[in-house]
Amino acid sequence: MSSEQSRLDPRAESEAEELGVLIDALLPVLVDRLKETGLGEIEVERNGATVRVRAEATPASALHAREQAVSAPVASAAAPVVNDRRHAIRSTAVGFVTLASDVHVGAKIAKGALVASIDVLGVPNEVRAEHGGIVGALRCTTGDPVEYGQELFFVERIGEGGR
Amino acid sequence: MTKRKITRVLIANRGEIALRILRACRQMGIEAVVAYSEADRTSRAVMVADEAICIGPAAAKLSYLSAPAIISAARATGCDAIHPGYGFLSENAAFAEAAAAHGITFIGPSAAVLERFESKAGVRALLAKHGLPTIPGSEGVVADIEAARAAAKKIGYPVILKASAGGGGRGMRVVTSETELANLFPLCAQEAQAAFGDGSLYLEKYLTDTHHVEVQIAVDDAGTALHFGERDCSVQRRHQKLVEESPSPALTTKVREDFLARAAKAIGAAGYRNLGTLEFLVGPDGKPYFIEINCRIQVEHPVSEMVTGVDLVALQIALARGDTMPMTQAQIERRGHAIEFRLTAEDPANEFRPQAGEITLFRSPSGPWVRFDSHLYAGYEVPPYYDSLLAKLIVWGPTRDEAIARSRAALREVEIDGVATTRDFFLGLLETPAFLNGSATTGMLDASGTAAILAAAPKVSA
Repeated sequence: MSSEQSRLDPRAESEAEELGVLIDALLPVLVDRLKETGLGEIEVERNGATVRVRAEATPASALHAREQAVSAPVASAAAPVVNDRRHAIRSTAVGFVTLASDVHVGAKIAKGALVASIDVLGVPNEVRAEHGGIVGALRCTTGDPVEYGQELFFVERIGEGGR
Repeated sequence: MTKRKITRVLIANRGEIALRILRACRQMGIEAVVAYSEADRTSRAVMVADEAICIGPAAAKLSYLSAPAIISAARATGCDAIHPGYGFLSENAAFAEAAAAHGITFIGPSAAVLERFESKAGVRALLAKHGLPTIPGSEGVVADIEAARAAAKKIGYPVILKASAGGGGRGMRVVTSETELANLFPLCAQEAQAAFGDGSLYLEKYLTDTHHVEVQIAVDDAGTALHFGERDCSVQRRHQKLVEESPSPALTTKVREDFLARAAKAIGAAGYRNLGTLEFLVGPDGKPYFIEINCRIQVEHPVSEMVTGVDLVALQIALARGDTMPMTQAQIERRGHAIEFRLTAEDPANEFRPQAGEITLFRSPSGPWVRFDSHLYAGYEVPPYYDSLLAKLIVWGPTRDEAIARSRAALREVEIDGVATTRDFFLGLLETPAFLNGSATTGMLDASGTAAILAAAPKVSA
């Protein structure tokens, strides 16, 4: 269904060929996507070969001040229109966040995976991935205070395998 | 006296009261963070605040009524105090205790005080012991139908059955005969159990067509208790207040001063602390009889602020901090007359049905001695999830007649489009003889009905 997947050669046999295909076919698409989505980093893995493109990082503040509180809904409302493949993982509670150890930029996460926990007065509240995909820009780090609904990080959905 | 630190307050409420608390904090040089639900993301308090934090989804149970979410939000934002406003968790002893356990000051009475004043039947007995006249009723909770029958027989029908754990006008049934009591007692107990988790009932003599008056009080940690005059809240619909004024037109000066002094003395001696309100009904003898206490800042507090010049929210915060009462009774001068109108998103022509939707036009009144507490703006979407209060218009005048004249002028300036409001109802009320001569009673809207009041409203171009 995705353009980058259709360009992958399913008959590639060697690892070198695989890597070549990845670079030639995927890189321009990934770079475009990076610009378009504002993701910090995109990583794609196939048969052991990995391509990772990274934009210059912009630090995300934790708990927001007024400006962000007001602008947030505008951004989230507009997001699906801009790119329906980019999915925000949001906090399910107000408290302090702990990201799962396997959540880092470029990591692949499965749908339904436990990706973070929000500590509410000592009680952990699970955050699970609604969609699988590649972890893009992180919007928080472990220990940060977070509000209900806050974007914790983004997931870039890739093809059917990530669903 | 214990001093408690209050440098940063989490405002755990919404609407106009969130703004009111925010203003008090700013004037006191205290930082404030507004806690809001997803449905209130675009509310004015969130826009005006320096900092805001989303505590949960629209459903109040998961946001404004969630003690863990609110206390966790206070910790996440580094707040050392929580102001609960009115409604929601404002009188919840367990919440106050949980906040204290996390080192957070609850701005209101302590958990121990809230617990002491939790049972309505218990408070009646406690304040009677401290010299407040109460309406004849049962001695505390009536254990069963037999006890209720005996108590009702002694005081005479009609009586009103009340849930001891109830509040906000809910959990009450008027009973006119012994046969009715047999039917209603189990039903009422069941309802109280379902609504408040406590089926205990007590009963009182039912007074119809009377005046509802209440006393604003404040008590510091040392027990110094002051009053800030009374408010008359007789214009009600189904136990919901619509208009409040101070002083009450129903009391003589002698009765008033005696009852205010006794109320302050009794509440201090009974161990109450922080801000509160004692509610009374005026008996056939013209004297007020205690019915219940509200352990919070109230919607109608500005009426007392306009008459006394005291910022009650700031005083409440100072008392929660452990400050000594910053004034004496003699320093509280009550001047003139103030009236408050609760403008709600309700359609008076249609059984006061609640409204929700976008405010398409909003023009607020102004002018000398006019105060307008509101969270509205044009384009604001009134959410369907919470109470329907849109704005409070409070007007002051040197006399009641002048306050009424200024109220008419100010109400005409109010323009709110997009949802039906109670504005025209109030314009009609201000042409209704019973209100103008000060004889409006709690039964007024049942008797003459809303239609007659609406018909009396002058046409205002909008």
